[in-house]
Amino acid sequence: MVEISIKDLGMVYSRNETVALEGVTLDIERGEFVSLLGPSGCGKTTLLRIIANLLEPTSGALTVADGTPEQARKDRKYGIVFQSPVLQNWRTVRKNVELPLEIMHVPPMERRERADAMLHMVGLHRFFDAYPEELSGGMQQRVGIARALVIEPEILLMDEPFSALDEFTREKLQADLLQIWQESGKTIVFVTHNIAEAVYLSDRVCVFSPRPGRLSAVVDVKLKRPRPLEIRDTAEFVEYVARVRGSFEGV
Amino acid sequence: MEQSVKDRVSGIVLPVAFAAVLLVLWQTQALHAILGTDTFTFPLPGHIARILAGNVPKILENLSATCTVVFGGLAIGCVAGYGISVAAAMSPRWGVGGLRVIGAFNAIPIVALAPVVINLTRDVSGDVEVRSTVAKIIVVALLCAVVMSLGAYRGLTDLKPFSEDLLLSYAADRKTIFLKLRLPNSVPHIFIALRVIVPTSVISALISEYFAEYIIGIGRMIRDNITLAQYATAWAYIVVACGLGIASYAVLLLVEKLVCGKRWRT
Repeated sequence: MVEISIKDLGMVYSRNETVALEGVTLDIERGEFVSLLGPSGCGKTTLLRIIANLLEPTSGALTVADGTPEQARKDRKYGIVFQSPVLQNWRTVRKNVELPLEIMHVPPMERRERADAMLHMVGLHRFFDAYPEELSGGMQQRVGIARALVIEPEILLMDEPFSALDEFTREKLQADLLQIWQESGKTIVFVTHNIAEAVYLSDRVCVFSPRPGRLSAVVDVKLKRPRPLEIRDTAEFVEYVARVRGSFEGV
Repeated sequence: MEQSVKDRVSGIVLPVAFAAVLLVLWQTQALHAILGTDTFTFPLPGHIARILAGNVPKILENLSATCTVVFGGLAIGCVAGYGISVAAAMSPRWGVGGLRVIGAFNAIPIVALAPVVINLTRDVSGDVEVRSTVAKIIVVALLCAVVMSLGAYRGLTDLKPFSEDLLLSYAADRKTIFLKLRLPNSVPHIFIALRVIVPTSVISALISEYFAEYIIGIGRMIRDNITLAQYATAWAYIVVACGLGIASYAVLLLVEKLVCGKRWRT
């Protein structure tokens, strides 16, 4: 069953006539983990923002959760995680996770229960009442993930969520993300510029190339799941990385 | 932790010790020798203290008039300034230009503004005390409103990257974005503005008293006593003015600490 359907999508920024995306066609299945991979300027973040209805495409069509992206946004069908955690410093960790539920007018008791459950899931149950500035970068990003999941979205959109983290923290969060995905069965669209990260996480890696931004290849990653961190040392993994790297055009 | 206690002690003890040394030099007239002045234009602290103690009702009357102007103007100015910043933030097209015009007000000296406002408010009331108070409050409020609108506008519009997108992704409307993001984001900027506003409102109240029709207030007493060469009395009012400025700033810092705590860093 198709969750996100993209047909011949194009995006031209009128400001400077930049062609950010051209002729992108892609179907993302429900429950699939898909990465959008490419160097900066290839349009991968633009595509994610279009799916999230934070940008309007200039040509082509797309449906998200069987409706328009706007409907999907208004129905809170997706949760989004950005490059930075985007936490509100004046709210405690728990209150940050409750924020979307406040906007949705969920009663206070239920808000707290749901926020606490999410914070348990991302391993932050000891930090309910901490303020964001008291947490490390990795912990802050976990709060961001908990906040995206607390509205129980069908789709999780992630825009280079781990790119600002150190290697050790990133590996831990990648493993945790896979576990969360396996438990929740959500569709995940994950933007990254890290080839190994895309291969490790995804069912499919969509390779984007710049100038103009376009989808140049889709690589199916058939590594068995669950994937332990050590899978990165196997010949099969290295082969996938090489294959993905070989499919970039004009970088 | 030990270091911070040490810092705190030295941060309090040193200034207090410095003030004490200064007072002793002053009272023993060593300061007069250094500055080449006499005890008539530069009265001794003991003399000033006796005048303060002997004129409590008159000082309180003038202090209360000044406080009405300071805090009335401050309250009206801050509310109006915040309102202006909200309006500017809601309409980005007019906001920036409008605030630039308001920023120009900042360059007008109080000594120029006060007589103009006093002239413009001549018909407000037949009671000279009332129209004088209104004029002075308007001067203070104008200056406060300018600083607050510029500061708060920054707080309402200078958002963390993606934070507005985040709320949009939850289908939040403009009102919700204002209440859940812009408003709380502006809180530390309000206090930063207040740190300028509180001393400004005291100074502008004192100066606007110089020009007011009705003769009252700490600032007016300083001026009039100097004109009459009653330097010791003038100094007594200078001490009261300093006390008012320091006390109101201390209250601000206390409120800031209570409101901001760990939540907002200023």
